[in-house]
Amino acid sequence: MDSSSFLPAAGAENGSAAGGANNGGAAQQHAAPAIREQDRLMPIANVIRIMRRVLPAHAKISDDAKETIQECVSEYISFITGEANERCQREQRKTITAEDVLWAMSRLGFDDYVEPLGAYLHRYREFEGDARGVGLVPGAAPSRGGDHHPHSMSPAAMLKSRGPVSGAAMLPHHHHHHDMQMHAAMYGGTAVPPPAGPPHHGGFLMPHPQGSSHYLPYAYEPTYGGEHAMAAYYGGAAYAPGNGGSGDGSGSGGGGGSASHTPQGSGGLEHPHPFAYK
Amino acid sequence: MDNQPLPYSTGQPPAPGGAPVAGMPGAAGLPPVPHHHLLQQQQAQLQAFWAYQRQEAERASASDFKNHQLPLARIKKIMKADEDVRMISAEAPVLFAKACELFILELTIRSWLHAEENKRRTLQRNDVAAAIARTDVFDFLVDIVPREEAKEEPGSALGFAAPGTGVVGAGAPGGAPAAGMPYYYPPMGQPAPMMPAWHVPAWDPAWQQGAADVDQSGSFSEEGQGFGAGHGGAASFPPAPPTSE
Repeated sequence: MDSSSFLPAAGAENGSAAGGANNGGAAQQHAAPAIREQDRLMPIANVIRIMRRVLPAHAKISDDAKETIQECVSEYISFITGEANERCQREQRKTITAEDVLWAMSRLGFDDYVEPLGAYLHRYREFEGDARGVGLVPGAAPSRGGDHHPHSMSPAAMLKSRGPVSGAAMLPHHHHHHDMQMHAAMYGGTAVPPPAGPPHHGGFLMPHPQGSSHYLPYAYEPTYGGEHAMAAYYGGAAYAPGNGGSGDGSGSGGGGGSASHTPQGSGGLEHPHPFAYK
Repeated sequence: MDNQPLPYSTGQPPAPGGAPVAGMPGAAGLPPVPHHHLLQQQQAQLQAFWAYQRQEAERASASDFKNHQLPLARIKKIMKADEDVRMISAEAPVLFAKACELFILELTIRSWLHAEENKRRTLQRNDVAAAIARTDVFDFLVDIVPREEAKEEPGSALGFAAPGTGVVGAGAPGGAPAAGMPYYYPPMGQPAPMMPAWHVPAWDPAWQQGAADVDQSGSFSEEGQGFGAGHGGAASFPPAPPTSE
């Protein structure tokens, strides 16, 4: 669904046929009398995945907290859209633009958002131009974004390819489990899958190779949010080892014996999920 | 495994040498006022979060625009729910997808800080309500949660509303995460690895006992239940045996 919705966006231009079709779609949607209940909220799986990126590995999220965040996101969209639309009407324009959205955020107090979103929009327009240049082929764009992994690679293959590098990277370092959790949080926040080895670590003050060996596979989930990735993440194949690691971390952490993770790390030199062996 | 160091459950935190971690910077000692320190820590975490997001936005790649974290069609439908909205440019939902991501991240961090203050490890609705009540820019959300849930819990470390999104106070205090560093990185030498941000020795015995109880009894069933409810699948995995002492 996301990929299908992206194609019109890539081809949409003011006055172009694709733009006309897009506007036609918008007009049709405008005629719809009511919005369905399930369309009123963001998908809860997507929301939870984003939340996990800034929560410690041992954190739990209650169902009512998940639903509350869902409601807040929809309210946020409506709140910003309302302000952006008022500006449009005041200036007698019909189309809400990205600039209107940024302006509304600044006006409503979301100053921290304006700078990262402005940079994001700038990057988007760069790729938009690239996509047009290659004749509206979105597949060509990844080569310019510095993405080191093809999208078609399955999560299982990613786990496999990650193993040897992780093993090599683990040799000189041993860290406590909470460091690995921090690493997971760090990579979870990274939209781009980090390349293997030192180049990515160079961007941070404290590299944690051991942590990356355990949590990198799950950092890919935000990028590959498709159906197969979801199945891999929540299915038995990819999920069980991660669950084992999390369980081990919680147990040891509670007891305060953080040093006990060192032998486990050593034992896992040839496997990305050493916590599965206990 | 058998020769793990003893946990420091009482008294002052040990010297940095007590918990050596290669490559980590030294952490300053705990300040005498834990309340003020807690507030500074929270501010520092949020500042680090925004600094990190500014870096990430500049590194967005084409794959990010092809695989949005949130579906664009759904965003567009929510925008169109307002009957006054006529037409939406193609860029607006793309921008909103990133904006909502930042919004979820900020709201989750602020909510989690409240859960931490109350020594819980499950994010609850009242944590979200407290985060909304404390943050001026989230005033438009006060109707989403019942008013009584927005009240502070008794015994909460922060009895007053924290400042809004403005930058408050001096730079990051000693041991706080710097820009670009992970925001849940605990200062070196802290004896409690499960406390990501800070540690107050006076509360340590109760916290240790509470954490131990949660770890040994509730964490696995809770996690299984959460995943099952959230994703429509039964998630029953055997819990790992506790390795404490």
